[in-house]
Amino acid sequence: MSNKIFAAVTIAVALVLAAVTQLIPNEYFFSAAYTVLLFVILATAWNILGGYTGYVNFGSAAFFAIGAYTTVFLYNAFKAPLAVGIVAGTLVAGLAGLGLGYLTLRLRGVFFAIASLALAVVLYIFVVNWDYVGGARGAYVIQPREIPFGLPRYIHLIYAVQLVMAAFALVVARAIEKSTLGRGLAAIRDDELAAECSGVPTLKLKIFSTMASCALMGMAGTTFPYYLSYIEPSSAFSLSYAVNSIAMPLIGGMMSWMGPLIGAVLLGSVQQLVQVTVSSAWNLLIVGVLLVLFVTLAPNGIMGWVDAWRRRKGR
Amino acid sequence: MLGNSVLSTLRRVPGALFIGLALTGAALAQQPLKIGFGMSLTGPLAGNGKAALIAMEIWRDDVNAKGGILGRKVEFVYYDDQTSPATVPSIYTKLLDVDKVDLVVSGYGTNVIAPAMPIVMQRNLTFMTLFGLNVNSKFNYDRYFQIMPAGPNPAVGWSQGFFDAAMSMNPKPKTVALVGADAEYPAMALEGAREHAKKTGLKIVYDKTYPPNTVDYSPIVRAIQAANPEVVFVASYPPDSAGMVRAANEVGLKTRIFGGGLVGPQFAALKTQLGPLLNGVVNYEFYVPDVGSRFPFLEQFLAKYQARAVVEKVDPLGFYLPPYAYAMMQVLEQAITATKGLDQAKLAEYIHTNTFDTYVGKVGFAKNGEWAAPRVMMTQYHGITGNDVEQFKKPGRLTVLSPKEYRTGDLKAPYHENKK
Repeated sequence: MSNKIFAAVTIAVALVLAAVTQLIPNEYFFSAAYTVLLFVILATAWNILGGYTGYVNFGSAAFFAIGAYTTVFLYNAFKAPLAVGIVAGTLVAGLAGLGLGYLTLRLRGVFFAIASLALAVVLYIFVVNWDYVGGARGAYVIQPREIPFGLPRYIHLIYAVQLVMAAFALVVARAIEKSTLGRGLAAIRDDELAAECSGVPTLKLKIFSTMASCALMGMAGTTFPYYLSYIEPSSAFSLSYAVNSIAMPLIGGMMSWMGPLIGAVLLGSVQQLVQVTVSSAWNLLIVGVLLVLFVTLAPNGIMGWVDAWRRRKGR
Repeated sequence: MLGNSVLSTLRRVPGALFIGLALTGAALAQQPLKIGFGMSLTGPLAGNGKAALIAMEIWRDDVNAKGGILGRKVEFVYYDDQTSPATVPSIYTKLLDVDKVDLVVSGYGTNVIAPAMPIVMQRNLTFMTLFGLNVNSKFNYDRYFQIMPAGPNPAVGWSQGFFDAAMSMNPKPKTVALVGADAEYPAMALEGAREHAKKTGLKIVYDKTYPPNTVDYSPIVRAIQAANPEVVFVASYPPDSAGMVRAANEVGLKTRIFGGGLVGPQFAALKTQLGPLLNGVVNYEFYVPDVGSRFPFLEQFLAKYQARAVVEKVDPLGFYLPPYAYAMMQVLEQAITATKGLDQAKLAEYIHTNTFDTYVGKVGFAKNGEWAAPRVMMTQYHGITGNDVEQFKKPGRLTVLSPKEYRTGDLKAPYHENKK
């Protein structure tokens, strides 16, 4: 399927789903689905750099927070609507990704991972000391009273927006994966030196990959202040976003765009379910056990396991 | 024959209808009154969350032992919010849409109260909340109520007693140092302290914050000492409270009054950990045994709480949060009983227009849902020997300096000469 057709089908499916699910009378569905979709975007975004290119980014929460705090800034400055926040947050996070790329992509392996984590700490301290966006006290973003499209509650709107954004993230991820660019990134992942020797413009590709990945992470964060109405640095920079955005592609499979989607839907839904059934203490245990199981039994994730099964069947 | 039979049946209909309706009414009355909330049972605030939950469960059991509210037994539906704001919207929508609870109350702290606000506001629910810091200043919701006794302006009310005590010294102090962590509560407390400094004419000679994960506090205390302030106001969370008190002792901080907004010494863990290092420190409390006679019912509550706290390994004293968690539920109980139902508008109106007799005393609410007047007790530690928790269960280790009606003694200054 060509990228254009895939994009048209995915966005159309997202729009239809967003419209049809509005009929669900239970508001809990929208809150839970919003969180799962947030993880779909984060996991897909992380996978562009971590899965396709092989550069492990521990700073996902920082880019997520950049998106969130751009929304807060625009809200405080101009009472800017959500759409403006989404566009601006994505661009600002993309620019921050460009900066990260220039500063750190000469580092490889664990050194890049540590640098990305350090960036998250630097941004955290910056936000804590920036009073205009609430600083350490946090900031309030009040949901508007007028909700477009005649939707009953604001959560219905941000769920629908999140659904379309998740579809957009998948389209971008697939387009990168199936393009020459994707093959270049795969070459970098497999052997960067060999790729360089073969004429792959590694630095350019890595910078593009970092920008795209970070921009999508920022996009995921732009609706977050509206979802919570209150945001403060420790929750915006929470380690759980970084951990989940790594764990989800690992469990789903890092080689294709479907892996993070499957991982995020599976793990995100399990987490939502466990939270209101068993106990939250089990939540982290489940993530940990699943990670250990997949890393040892199916290192290429669910998609890798399915591919291997298909190959065996085909023989 | 047939006519008689029909007539006889018809005669029985009203009676049957009456009995049926009565039975339905009785069945409804016997349906439990479900109260839903999220509570921090894991994560950084789990210790406080569990303590609050115990207090609320004691209230539930007490109420049910008396026959419930309006003849309905009280039942809790709660989920662990992991001390994470991100979990709150889904928890509250589940409580309201799936579990169909009759009422919701908040979990512990600003972080988890604020994300629940849009949901309760959309449904026009009356919302009793537990220890949020001025959350309603942005929402201006007229059905919001908060049980922490910081008064209508929490930032100012929080440190009022400390600055009153400081200004009661003779001669009056002229300089103040303000220090706190880069976090939500210290930022608010420092903001209030700056207002007090301005109002009282104190010159601020040091005003800095530090990252919450600071390990060594000695350089901070040395920098404060270098500014030579007469008053040192500290706003900190438990780990840094311990760090600041230890550093003040190690460095030998010389100042006339020290403390004010240290979170942590209210709990047994820090009281016993710091022990004699707390002597001379002036700090806020919400209850101390020295004023126990003013709260006649609190002793029996604390006996129940402390027995459970030991088993569940939470704060064994329970002076800080649990009495207020219990009181929050008492306010709700009295409002439901008085309005004879769960009409949210009537409940809110009743809470706004009445005062409530609770285990923490009379409680009345201001227009913004905070306590009508602040009642933060400013106390001074003295005579602490060793690290035994039992000494804190009895009166005699803390002098209440303010408010006036709870005063048990005078401030002993300077700080460095009262470390015994």
